[in-house]
Amino acid sequence: MPQRVLTDGEVIRTVLDGDTEAFGGLVERYQKGLVTYIFHMVHNYEEALELSQEVFIKAFESLRRYDGQYKFSTWLYKIASNHTIDHLRRQKMSTTSIQERQDNPDLPDLHLESATLSPHDAYKNKMLLVQVQKALEDLPPSYRELILLRHFSFRSYEEMAKITGMPIGTVKNRIFRARQILMERLQDFR
Amino acid sequence: MTDPRENRRCNKILALLPRFIENDFTPEESAEIRDHLSSCPTCQTEYESMSRLLDTLDSLPSVGVPASFKDAVMRHIPPSRTPRKP
Repeated sequence: MPQRVLTDGEVIRTVLDGDTEAFGGLVERYQKGLVTYIFHMVHNYEEALELSQEVFIKAFESLRRYDGQYKFSTWLYKIASNHTIDHLRRQKMSTTSIQERQDNPDLPDLHLESATLSPHDAYKNKMLLVQVQKALEDLPPSYRELILLRHFSFRSYEEMAKITGMPIGTVKNRIFRARQILMERLQDFR
Repeated sequence: MTDPRENRRCNKILALLPRFIENDFTPEESAEIRDHLSSCPTCQTEYESMSRLLDTLDSLPSVGVPASFKDAVMRHIPPSRTPRKP
């Protein structure tokens, strides 16, 4: 008989009861979304992996402070948001641009996944992605973060407010503004 | 020559489009915007462009994670104090 998949709350209780290896289940569950979110924030794959690793370790170390009234993923993304924004502040936005990476064959591939597209569509999508990423990269980090939370992580406005610590009204206004900026910068959509 | 009133109307509608796309208005407000879009090709084009952008953002592919990622995290996690349940 197949085993029932444990909820996040059940896994957390198991971990807090001493079975720390169970935390690996949460890592497996959220690693892809988290690495993607952080990658699009920092635009560097190796950094995204490293930061994601640090976020999971921070989450483990703070697990006793997790408040079960919120979704675990919301809490995890709040840690990721703070950690990534801190990283960007430290770095003072000195990230390599997408164009620079394209021009430099030694830099690693972006490891983009596309399960169902034909090679032609996958190529078009990749080119479009490069354009969108460039436009995202030029957004202020606080705007970029909201676009990613909404469109890559599919968070509700309520969750986005909890993750960023902003009022919902501010979240909405900023994401609307962010989209307008993207529109202005992405001429191919017109 | 473009009617300045119509220009102002378009500017107002364009500013409202991001919220309109998210269904953030009352049915009456949404109906008013839809009416304008149906009669204004410029605003309609802008609306379609923004919808396409949002669709694209929603469908962008994920970044792959190496198989070793979980192990790399778990190396920093202290070992279990209790035997694992089967």
